Amino acid sequence: MLQVTNVRVVLPNGKRLVNDVSFSVGRGEFVSILGSSGAGKSLTLRCIVGLTRPSEGKITLTGPEGKTYSTTSVGQKEMRRARRHIGLIFQGSNLVKRLTVLENVMLGRLGHIHPLRSWMLGFKDSEARAAMVALDRVNMAQCAARLAGSLSGGEMQRVSIARAIYQRPLIYLADEPISSLDPKNAEAIMSILQPLSRETPVIGAFHQPVVVARYCTRVIGIREGRVVYDGPAQLSARQLESIYGDSSAESLAPPYDLEAQPFLFEPDLQPPMRQGIHQGVAV
Amino acid sequence: MGALSTAPFRQEFPFLEWKRGLTVQRWKHLAAAVLLAVLTVFASFRCNVDVASFFTGIGKGAALLQMFFPPEWSGVGGMMQPLAVTAVMALIATILGMCLSLPCALAASSNLAPPLLRLTMRSFIALERGLPEIVQMLLLIAIFGLGAIPGLVALSFSSIGMLAKLLADGIEEIEPQMLEAVEGTGATRSQVIRYAVIPQILPSLLANGLFRFEVNVRAGVILGAVGAGGIGYVMSSSMNAMEYPRACMATLLTLALVFASERISDFFRARIFSAGALR
Repeated sequence: MLQVTNVRVVLPNGKRLVNDVSFSVGRGEFVSILGSSGAGKSLTLRCIVGLTRPSEGKITLTGPEGKTYSTTSVGQKEMRRARRHIGLIFQGSNLVKRLTVLENVMLGRLGHIHPLRSWMLGFKDSEARAAMVALDRVNMAQCAARLAGSLSGGEMQRVSIARAIYQRPLIYLADEPISSLDPKNAEAIMSILQPLSRETPVIGAFHQPVVVARYCTRVIGIREGRVVYDGPAQLSARQLESIYGDSSAESLAPPYDLEAQPFLFEPDLQPPMRQGIHQGVAV
Repeated sequence: MGALSTAPFRQEFPFLEWKRGLTVQRWKHLAAAVLLAVLTVFASFRCNVDVASFFTGIGKGAALLQMFFPPEWSGVGGMMQPLAVTAVMALIATILGMCLSLPCALAASSNLAPPLLRLTMRSFIALERGLPEIVQMLLLIAIFGLGAIPGLVALSFSSIGMLAKLLADGIEEIEPQMLEAVEGTGATRSQVIRYAVIPQILPSLLANGLFRFEVNVRAGVILGAVGAGGIGYVMSSSMNAMEYPRACMATLLTLALVFASERISDFFRARIFSAGALR
């Protein structure tokens, strides 16, 4: 079980990117974090895996035997121990392109391997076999020997899921796993993640409320760093509006500070220019 | 506000902007050409360039060139050993340079090394690159005396300088997400280097190392002339002794060595890249 308590990320200039976020995720859940760009979705996920250190708050992960791991206020060694149990699925280009697909999957359990063995001997055959099983689960076993850089976007995403599966984590974190994919590939990824979430909880950041409603069990809505919605994945129009803001009002507001446009060097052309920019943005 | 009032403008304004940019660019080109011409003429006068001496030199050169032929074919056997010295010096310097440039590059890249270490290593690399091989050679002769050792050390150092800079830049171009994804599995820094950094830069290390081998062969000939031995020394000593046919033979052998090293380097570089694409 993952417990996120009062996490804040504050920039040195006092801007609060993540403001007092709390939630917990347990067995069988497929949680989607929704929110517009810059709302703090990815940052929350980065905090959970410790790639960004939150300014305040506590994040703990509890294993089946009651063992707890934390990624806040711990040293490098503790952090690495916690990270072993978090399966990361990033968007797009996170595979090591010049390693083979199978090697990329095996990177998932690097945290369990002594660095000396990594340098001297490399991976074992038994590890390679287990990695093949994970690859098979995402239907990519036939590509095991190819270089990761030669795969398509959808295939890469499936391999990075296989890497997370091979890691056998306590929780999966997926940061916009389908944002750069076409609808068909996105569908394929979601139908891999959904059965996965029945064994191990999945938290994902998504941009597609319709897809989320179909596959996820729960939505956490984040707006300007705060949790504004936490409940079932089927959202009403009003609930969507509370997460994304009033979109129609936003597009009616003047998009630019026209006085600050540095490239307007023809003063006599300014008035019609104003209209030109307006139309270009609104379309 | 209708489409009619804005439509002609929306095409016209970018056009005017483009045209204005084009005019500015033409004036800049013209100014650059004029400036270059003025500088050339001015510099020639300042340095007393005598065009006539150039043409009289050509005449003398043609006469001198006749003294080089025919080359001293019988000297080939004796020149094989110095030729091998130059080739082996270049080869060892390349291998040493490749091995040592990897840790230097890791320490010089902003995404792996702490700022202070990076600054130190970058300064070291800049120093090595700032001193031409021949200057390093002259300094090293003072330490080691004449011979192949100072030449080898000078070539190795400048190989490290070039390769470490190229590699460090390559490491800095690795996408941060790739490193974070490996780090996010609980891997240590050394494992990230082993499985994310090295596989990504190894092909460029090999390709640049092969290219450096070519450079080292050429630089090795020059260093030979100033005291590192090898074919360069044969050439300079026979020129000094006015044994022109012998110098000619050494020149031919040098050409052959440089061409051969280029062919070898091209062959392997092509294989590196095709192997990477096929797998």
